Amino acid sequence: MDAVEKANTERQRRWVKDQKIGEGMYAVVYRGREAATGRRVAIKKIKVGQFKDGLDMSAIREVKYLRELKHQNVIELLDVFSSKTNLNLVLEFLDTDLELVIRDRSLVFLPADIKSWMAMTFRGLEFCHRNFILHRDLKPNNLLIASDGQLKLADFGLARDFADPGYKMTCQVITRWYRPPELLFGCRYYSTAVDIWSVGCIFAELMLRTPYLPGESDMDQLKTTFRALGTPTEEDWPGHTKLPDYVPVGQFPRTPLRELFTAASPDCLNLLSKCLIYEPRRRISAREALNHQYFFASPKPSHPSKLPKPVMKASPTAPLEEMNGNVEMNGSGPGVKANPPNKLKRKLSSDDLGGRSIARKLDFSQHRQS
Amino acid sequence: MSRTASGGLLRGTVIRKGGASSSSSTRISTPQVQSTSTTIFGGGVKDPSGRTSEYFVSLIHAIHCMQIRPILESEVASLGKRMLPQDTFEDLGVEKEVAVRRRIAKEFNKRKEDFPDLRSYNDYLEEVEDITFNLINDIDIPETEARIAAYRRENAALIELNIQREEQYSRYLKEHEDAERQEREQRALELRRAEEEEREEREKERREIIDQLQTSDKDAVKLIAKSRAGALRRATARSSNGAQSSSKALRPRFAQSAVIPDEPHVPLQDDWYAYEDMFVLRDSYDDPASEAVRRDREGIMRAGGYRVEEAWERALRYAVAGLEIMPLQGFHLGANTSPHGSGESQAVSASTS
Repeated sequence: MDAVEKANTERQRRWVKDQKIGEGMYAVVYRGREAATGRRVAIKKIKVGQFKDGLDMSAIREVKYLRELKHQNVIELLDVFSSKTNLNLVLEFLDTDLELVIRDRSLVFLPADIKSWMAMTFRGLEFCHRNFILHRDLKPNNLLIASDGQLKLADFGLARDFADPGYKMTCQVITRWYRPPELLFGCRYYSTAVDIWSVGCIFAELMLRTPYLPGESDMDQLKTTFRALGTPTEEDWPGHTKLPDYVPVGQFPRTPLRELFTAASPDCLNLLSKCLIYEPRRRISAREALNHQYFFASPKPSHPSKLPKPVMKASPTAPLEEMNGNVEMNGSGPGVKANPPNKLKRKLSSDDLGGRSIARKLDFSQHRQS
Repeated sequence: MSRTASGGLLRGTVIRKGGASSSSSTRISTPQVQSTSTTIFGGGVKDPSGRTSEYFVSLIHAIHCMQIRPILESEVASLGKRMLPQDTFEDLGVEKEVAVRRRIAKEFNKRKEDFPDLRSYNDYLEEVEDITFNLINDIDIPETEARIAAYRRENAALIELNIQREEQYSRYLKEHEDAERQEREQRALELRRAEEEEREEREKERREIIDQLQTSDKDAVKLIAKSRAGALRRATARSSNGAQSSSKALRPRFAQSAVIPDEPHVPLQDDWYAYEDMFVLRDSYDDPASEAVRRDREGIMRAGGYRVEEAWERALRYAVAGLEIMPLQGFHLGANTSPHGSGESQAVSASTS
């Protein structure tokens, strides 16, 4: 046995797989624990063998970036090891995600709760941006929530580092409802501002308790966006008509945010509007956002441990699990039940990425293991 | 209470009630003791709020001393031996001590939780006591003031935080009290309303029965029994309704907030360091690689938000970030042929290279 194999075997021994909790085309997720301490973990086994061109891209990205990032508000990749022809990612175990929290109608959000979630989101994002990494898939169900209430950015399957000058980036990133207009116009040279737009949409969703800009197609997404925020003029956003996929989608007047967000404070709306500025260069940065008056004004952000959370079923079976990345929604693993069919699924439509499935999440809220 | 070293420290607890000169008062210019027979229970020096400040403060003093005594037993003893002029704890001395302690407590407000272990907390308490002692007894004043200033500088954030914590805690106590009071009032109101309703209902029933007895030719006993059953039904319905108080829903959150206070917002909670002291980003660089971007004739990079400055900043930061990393030592490329080099350590060092 050579040195690498030996090291790998030792790593493998540190972790115990307990129970399979989901399976997709690209990965199987297990609930597991650390052998020495019993600490709960999620083990994501990525099937390598079946791909002609080697590892799935999102797995590479996830390992590449999570291996380097360590922050209170970013999911921790604890270990990576291989077994036979598979790659295993050992991830921090997290109880639930922000989408399930938003959807749980029995939970009441206080303004301080929303502030707390936003602060944690911006902190995690600031850390990524500080380290020159774009997340490119922020949405409520990629914001996972630990048992102590800390919110963590997860699913780095679409992340990448800042492009060098002149290098093109793909515009087919970020789940549609959270995708900024520059990407919808096919822009290949963009920046951290794309993530900020997504955070703005999440911010609005926390207040509305329903997705803010739920477009039904890419074209409809532009329309939905402009209907909500007004069609940008050349003055609002210089140069946007020259973007590769620019199409005029009609003129809509700008309606004040106040009309939709009736209960929000002026500080709150000011920050929201700065996240949703059309011109990416003028959009607020994560660091500026964290220093925004909204966070310092009363009420103080709720202590994470007090944030509302869906009630976990007291069954011994798997609670909600870290289950992102390339797990197929319609994978038919035993006992796995996908989201109920819904036209407005919170995922990239399959044509977005040439049929390749990315960034999906299983829903275990209705799952009972036999 | 004798005048031995540690007993002496507690002498401040003796309240001079009557104006009798039996107490060893040597004070001349301090406030006069109001010492008529009417103030026999309210003796002592009164501060503007009408509180008997001497008593109040002496008690604090006593508590303070008791807190420190276990760890300072030897210290106090030695202090006593060193130099404790008898009149240190005469009234004038106590007054000065009170002022000094008040001043010190304002800034030396660290809590046990702020220390990694009991030992360092005790050391801190000892230092505070040391400083206080020096100030009270005019020992090394300049040096002591310098110590205080140094402490203030080093702990500014923590001092501020602890002040805020205290304020916050008292605020939460108040909030909690308010919530409880509101609930009590609400309950009383509901109770009153229920009683009122019940009274009205009884009245109505009585009238109905009388009406029915007057107009109907049915058996009086049956009518009364029927009406009683109806009243009972309504009463049980009422009591089960009343069980759900409106204030119940938010109750757990209230209770929680009294226990875990919300912290003020801190923008970044990790040690942010971006090597900004090691380079200065210029407005422009002679950078052929980004020339096309900067020309950006179509303006599409600007419209998309791409910033060449970010690429420059990254290049610079990456360049300086590695400057302090020592080159690997004792690492030979031909290591896999070395006779006793364990394969594993090679793998490790290779991965860090």
